[in-house]
Amino acid sequence: MLRLLIWRRVRSLRNRISSLTSYERARDTAFGLAGLGLLYGLYCGFLRLLAYLATVPLIGNLLLWKLTSMLMLTTLGMVVISSLLTSLSTLYYSYDLKFLMKAPLDLKIIFIDKSLESIFFSSWMIGLILVPFVLAMMKVNDLGWGFFAAFTALMIPFLLIAASVGVAFTVVVLYLFPSSRTRDVIWVLSSLSMTMVYGLIRFSQPERLIRPDALRVVADYLNFLQSPTAPYLPSWWITKALTSLAAGRPTDFMRYSALLCVAAAILYGALVWLAGRLYFRGYSGAQEGPMRRRLTTIERLPEQGWLSGAPAVLFLRERTAFFRDVKHWSQILLILGLIFVYLFSIQRLPMDSPDLRSLISFLNIGTAGFVIAALGLRFTYPSISLEGKSWWVLAAAPVTAREIMRQKLVFSLIPMTAIALTLGAAANHLLRADAFTSWISLASLLVITWALCFMGVGFGALFPMFTVENIHQIESSVGGFVYMAACLFYIGANITVLSWPMKMHFDERFGKLHAWDWPPVALCAAAWLILNALAFAVPWLLGRRALEAHEVH
Amino acid sequence: MIEIRGLFKKFGDLAAVKDLDLTVKPGEIFGFLGPNGAGKTTTVKLITGLLKPTAGTITVCGFDIASQALAAKRLIGLVPDEPFVYPKLTGAEYLRFIGELYGVALDAQKKRIPELLEMFELSDWSGELVESYSHGMRQKLVLCGILLHEPKVLVLDEPMVGLDPKSGRMAKEILLTLKKRGTCIFMCTHILEIAEKLCDRIGIMIRGELVALGTLEELRSKSQNGSSGLEDVFLSLTGGQEYAGLLKHL
Repeated sequence: MLRLLIWRRVRSLRNRISSLTSYERARDTAFGLAGLGLLYGLYCGFLRLLAYLATVPLIGNLLLWKLTSMLMLTTLGMVVISSLLTSLSTLYYSYDLKFLMKAPLDLKIIFIDKSLESIFFSSWMIGLILVPFVLAMMKVNDLGWGFFAAFTALMIPFLLIAASVGVAFTVVVLYLFPSSRTRDVIWVLSSLSMTMVYGLIRFSQPERLIRPDALRVVADYLNFLQSPTAPYLPSWWITKALTSLAAGRPTDFMRYSALLCVAAAILYGALVWLAGRLYFRGYSGAQEGPMRRRLTTIERLPEQGWLSGAPAVLFLRERTAFFRDVKHWSQILLILGLIFVYLFSIQRLPMDSPDLRSLISFLNIGTAGFVIAALGLRFTYPSISLEGKSWWVLAAAPVTAREIMRQKLVFSLIPMTAIALTLGAAANHLLRADAFTSWISLASLLVITWALCFMGVGFGALFPMFTVENIHQIESSVGGFVYMAACLFYIGANITVLSWPMKMHFDERFGKLHAWDWPPVALCAAAWLILNALAFAVPWLLGRRALEAHEVH
Repeated sequence: MIEIRGLFKKFGDLAAVKDLDLTVKPGEIFGFLGPNGAGKTTTVKLITGLLKPTAGTITVCGFDIASQALAAKRLIGLVPDEPFVYPKLTGAEYLRFIGELYGVALDAQKKRIPELLEMFELSDWSGELVESYSHGMRQKLVLCGILLHEPKVLVLDEPMVGLDPKSGRMAKEILLTLKKRGTCIFMCTHILEIAEKLCDRIGIMIRGELVALGTLEELRSKSQNGSSGLEDVFLSLTGGQEYAGLLKHL
């Protein structure tokens, strides 16, 4: 029966590929090439880093393998958390589960089918990111393709163990608390743990690995390098297996490989056995409708004031729906973590020169702008598409596309402005940048943030996806890609235009007479105005036109 | 009233609606029938401005749905075939939202919303999130929203699906009351009994073409075998009686 279930997946995949239009083929090829480009970029970055570490006298090799073990430990943690979230959807809320549960299939077969799906989707992307690292490692250590084959083979039990832990946690929690509310709790807890893992990794200051002076004595540093990174975890076993293979110790390689494979088989076998007893109770509980929650009555709704007319109700509905969705709470936790880590990283920058600090404050426009663009991809860009199947209510109502977009924009502008102010002002304060640079960077960051919000709503309206249920599909769509590419271009163009007057400012600081040349400044101002006018107006107008012409099928 | 002239709608090579001419008058209940995939829902979406016609015009109470969309939409109430409603709003909040969107005065909202919720037995659920409603409850909530802003034109796509018998009966009574008040009602349905009892005129669409139009009596006279019930008339016009041969395979 499992073969039959796998056959349906293979057929579905084959049919999906064969039914692609030429546009979709071209789009997917473009995405594939962009992905390969990204992996190549990662490869170049890893190669530079590993080549540098390898040149460190005496401890170069130790550093390489220490970094590998830390990377494997991080991968382990990320796959566990990712599988926890993925298995929640695939094991309990997949659209085809009702059909499968009604079919004459053994529960364990259904579980194996769905758990393998969870394991695959929660780990393939994280595993893929390790590929450029391993290729760079092979290049630096002059290892052959046999090493890559061993790495690929060992990744299967390694990822299987990591993902099985996440799946097991979900199965046990859903068994103990068989309710649809458990889903919300798991969402928040997993996001909280992801934020904590992210924060812990950053606050542990991994840069110390390449800065021995940060540790008090050399002995501390050597101890740190030689100590195993969590010796009882599979991340250490896979590191040891790969180290042994690279060092030409086949017995050790076989020992650690066998340990990984046996642990994976035992763990997955135990998971299937456990699921035979626990899975159905959790599944049944998860199918219950959301619990009744008395939130408002008609008498308690606000009466007068600003709750009147379409603009106000559109805004209020947006706010209400946003804060009632638990998925958004978890995203807010992640953002708070991101802001803290961002500011912590700025504070830890080793800079003694005031000029360098001012320069970093200026370049902070780019990094903070990128953070805002990434947040825009998660919150602003999908806001139109998230109307989802309820879009018909607005499409059939006497309200214009412009008004809908305007309320989405207002809802996005408020928090984005607050985040931009925090990132910009706090960074300038921590860097103690000079007044001119501080004001230029803060003002530019604010304008960039507003433009990114206009672009987010505009591109969101230009590429609406009302039929998808998963926000990740919206983010990773063609429109999301175009939005992000446009944002990066816009931020880069802003920095380029502003760098000219900034150069004059630094020339003045360094004592150059008549540093300010006004015609180029006027040219920069004109270019800046045109650039921003285009960024504000073009996506917005195109999006509005597209939304007005959009048909509800 | 609804006036449709020379309406075409194409999706690629497929013509979903072909040269449709139709007028539905105020105070009339018009039943729109046809087999699955005939183009009924497409027509509903064209009338309510959710789809753009490939050719032809639709006016609602004198307003062109293409060029005067806002004015036309203000007068239309739509009940779609799938009642998707914002899951994170409560029932009461949804109705306030609709009230403000369609410009219903606050005093009227405060009076009518509790009445409508009571009428459809949703009062106990008015403070709950819509995501916890059943299909039938969401359908009733959408009906409440429509009745709240008192549209001059009502466009309904399978309005009885999911309603319990009591609510279904009430919905029928409501439609008849609105008809008496002069509301123009355009209704797609597969439940022929409802069409037979409620509709003043009936149109039958097959593969995008309106193949029959008239009162029940007129359709009876047009059918090949002089059938008495709407079901027989419908099957004789749509060619759906060949199933007897297929049944032997069961």
